[in-house]
Amino acid sequence: MSGQDPIAAFRIEAADLLDQIEEALLDLGHRLDDRDLVDAVFRGLHTLKGSGAMFGFDALATFTHHCESAFDRVRKGLVPATQALVAVILSAKDHMRALIDGDGTGQEAAGDAILQALQAAIEGAGAAAAPDTVAEPAKAGWRLSFRLPPEAMANGTNPLMLLDELREFGECRVIARVDRVPMLPDLVPVECHIGWDLELHGDISRGDIEDVFIFVMDDMELSIEPLETAAPAAAAVDDALDDVPPVQLHAVAPATPAAIPAPDAVAPANGRQPAKSGESVRVPAERLDELMDRVGELVIVQSRLSQLAHGSVIGMEMVLRSISEEIERLASELRETMMVLRMVPVASLFSRFRRLIHDLSRETGKTIELETEGEATEVDKTVMERLADPMVHLIRNACDHGLETAEERIAAGKSPVGKVRLSASQAGGEVMITIRDDGRGIDRERVRAKAESQGLIQPGQVLSDSEILHMIFHPGFSTAATVTNLSGRGVGMDVVKRTIETLRGAIDITSKPGEGSTVVLRIPLTLAIIDGLLVRVGDGRYVIPLAAVEECIELSLEDDLRSRGRSFITLRERLVPFLRLREMFDTGTRPDPHQKIVVIATGTERVGLVVDQIIGSHQTVIKSMSLLHQAVTTFAGATILGDGGVALILDVSQLVALGQHQEERLRAAG
Amino acid sequence: MSASILTVDDSPSLRMAIRIALSGAGYAVTEAEDGVQGLKAATASRFDLIITDLNMPNMDGLTMIRELRKSPDQCGTPIIFLTTESDDSMKQQAKAAGATGWLVKPFVPEQLIKVSRKVLGR
Amino acid sequence: MEKSMIHWDATGGLEVLTFDLGSETFALEAVLVREILDLLPETAVPGALALVGSVVNFRGKIIPIADLRLAFGMPAAEATVDSRIVVIEMDAHGEPIQLGIRTDKVHEVATLREADAEAPPAVGMRWRRDYVRELVRREEGVIVLPDLTAIFNPLTGGDDAAGRASVH
Repeated sequence: MSGQDPIAAFRIEAADLLDQIEEALLDLGHRLDDRDLVDAVFRGLHTLKGSGAMFGFDALATFTHHCESAFDRVRKGLVPATQALVAVILSAKDHMRALIDGDGTGQEAAGDAILQALQAAIEGAGAAAAPDTVAEPAKAGWRLSFRLPPEAMANGTNPLMLLDELREFGECRVIARVDRVPMLPDLVPVECHIGWDLELHGDISRGDIEDVFIFVMDDMELSIEPLETAAPAAAAVDDALDDVPPVQLHAVAPATPAAIPAPDAVAPANGRQPAKSGESVRVPAERLDELMDRVGELVIVQSRLSQLAHGSVIGMEMVLRSISEEIERLASELRETMMVLRMVPVASLFSRFRRLIHDLSRETGKTIELETEGEATEVDKTVMERLADPMVHLIRNACDHGLETAEERIAAGKSPVGKVRLSASQAGGEVMITIRDDGRGIDRERVRAKAESQGLIQPGQVLSDSEILHMIFHPGFSTAATVTNLSGRGVGMDVVKRTIETLRGAIDITSKPGEGSTVVLRIPLTLAIIDGLLVRVGDGRYVIPLAAVEECIELSLEDDLRSRGRSFITLRERLVPFLRLREMFDTGTRPDPHQKIVVIATGTERVGLVVDQIIGSHQTVIKSMSLLHQAVTTFAGATILGDGGVALILDVSQLVALGQHQEERLRAAG
Repeated sequence: MSASILTVDDSPSLRMAIRIALSGAGYAVTEAEDGVQGLKAATASRFDLIITDLNMPNMDGLTMIRELRKSPDQCGTPIIFLTTESDDSMKQQAKAAGATGWLVKPFVPEQLIKVSRKVLGR
Repeated sequence: MEKSMIHWDATGGLEVLTFDLGSETFALEAVLVREILDLLPETAVPGALALVGSVVNFRGKIIPIADLRLAFGMPAAEATVDSRIVVIEMDAHGEPIQLGIRTDKVHEVATLREADAEAPPAVGMRWRRDYVRELVRREEGVIVLPDLTAIFNPLTGGDDAAGRASVH
């Protein structure tokens, strides 16, 4: 129901706004005199303040007001933008987020501290007070003379209401001027032919009077003279008032200048950011899931029909086949549309890392520059969300360990500024994301030493360069091997690797000593539908993601009997461990006389799965398992088959890990 | 009888905010999602004031205002459009199309009510 | 563990769906019930606890089927013509989850009276006391109000891994 709740809508819109403010601030940190950026920050703060007040976030509005005022002075050129100011506003931005997420209680002290720092930053820049817009009151009153543009009445302006408004200011004398009323044949009934002269008595500001005419001021004749001087000439005031309208309207309610978050008010209008393409459709996740369910059903109906079409109902085949083809086309179109709906540009992911780099730069004392490329590349929303944590880890690694200090870099003949480069591109059904640093590169000797001390390799064992580099992904390599999620820090690269693999992706690393390291992530575009291999184990049917399948080979009964107690097959002169799924799943059935081994692989590790039968390929709509089954890690999800039954989807990386585990145990034993 | 106001905006949150503000001030509010719907609503029944956004799908606010002003029924009906501070050229275009006035987004409910009172006189 | 609340209405009533498991009659709040289905073809989930040992396709969603008999120490039983699946939606750590409960027979939607209800006795029960919220006396016998949260939450909960099964 979030679409119906203005507060929830505000929270979402405010979060976007904060992201844009942050983006602009980080840019501003690099280009302090870019006026467009100053304007963008100001506009963002202004809108946030306004909408905050509108939706009852008073603490937010008040707090933001101070930041906005500070930036207003920068915008007016009274104070230069400084790094100190940018830093303060960045921390202020975090505080605003807290005020939006919570109710603001208990955060006043933090807010006050930030405002003090803000004050210091502004004063440090040597500010002069911003002049208030002067609107000199004429104590005695004003003499007015006005005549509306001809089309004003047709366009909805009622001159009587303008006169009523003026009369509300105080004592007023009105004289109608009818000198320009034409003869009847020439009279256009919807035009206003009358002009008015007024004397307004009282302590009224010129601005208040101009406000009355705000909508027609550009095109009308209007003169406003103080009563004392009462100059006879009624000058047209067109040009002098060009820039008045918006400012004046804000002055109407100075105590609560505010905003309604509207997409086009939020987007920077200076064209620096592509405002149009940035306009996004917000689709609630549940709705997407629902649509996905429907698509899933359609795919199911289609495969049901296609079974029927190839059956033996006489005379029906032709009709059914054509229906089947029709539905197949429909299903594939719907699937395409659906995928597009779920795609989001990686830009929003990348922009999060700008802050990370900014913070890391401060933490480590290194000067770090972030370069990004290919931000428009799109990936599935879920994929992107799950990429965030591994990428934070990789970037952190690059900054902490990869990049050298400025001194070291200069000594090595490099620029003192370290670079981290993120790039994204799409190739086929995959998105490739690269994280590259120009630091010292991975020290092979240290990796080897650590791997040896951890017992992962034998001293002196011959390894290729790539094998050494890949040691860092080994679960035993990291000292924090038991941590199982990525939310914290100090997590091993093995967890990064596993997370990427649960996205059915792959990770690779290359590194040149002295020149830096490059981590490449290859991720499938979507998680929602995969090609699968449908197999039978006992009475159950299971799906193996086709992308992980290397080959299928026969396991004859004799071979099976011969291999009892030993769970390896020799495949092209390599021992591959295999798992008998029938035993693992405790099916209680006899093995099929023609069992098969499906060899699956992740990276260089492989494992064979013994199944009873290979049924065929299956377009698999992935459904998640129930929360009640979250302890069952063998399965990555489930799918619905053509006959309405359920098949579980095997979790390839879990099974490979299991196979490796078995291999290690046997090696240790043997 | 309370004045009746038609609001035309594609943003549900903005429509909602406008409705809450205006009905709170005693006006009767009718909503439309875009120019096409707005035009239809304005033809079907009479409104004392029309408040419209400019950027909308199907038919934008400018086109809708022009269409409305073509009809003699809509001669003199106040039309307020919503705009952003930076949209000065848009403002000129909308006025040329026949709009009565504008309200700069973002705005608070009081501003909306004030503008409505201004052009409605009540 | 704190027992899940029973929300008796203002007049001390509670609308429930009653059903049989073995020789016992159980009741669940009617508001939890989404649908009552004939048995569906089930797919076993290797490695899962027998309590939630299988899944079915319920309108395009994969939902687990729970056998409450096992939670109450009864042997698993063959399905009969009266067997039904009661699909309910319950809350697990703030997230709604759907599951099907296998029942031997579904009776009716009835109103229980708070006045007839009593806490399970401290001794002499065949079942885990924390799995029962209240026992309600009626003419036909005693109706058990099971505590689904106590039964199922250990399966879903982050730190509480008591109910974990693993194939490792």
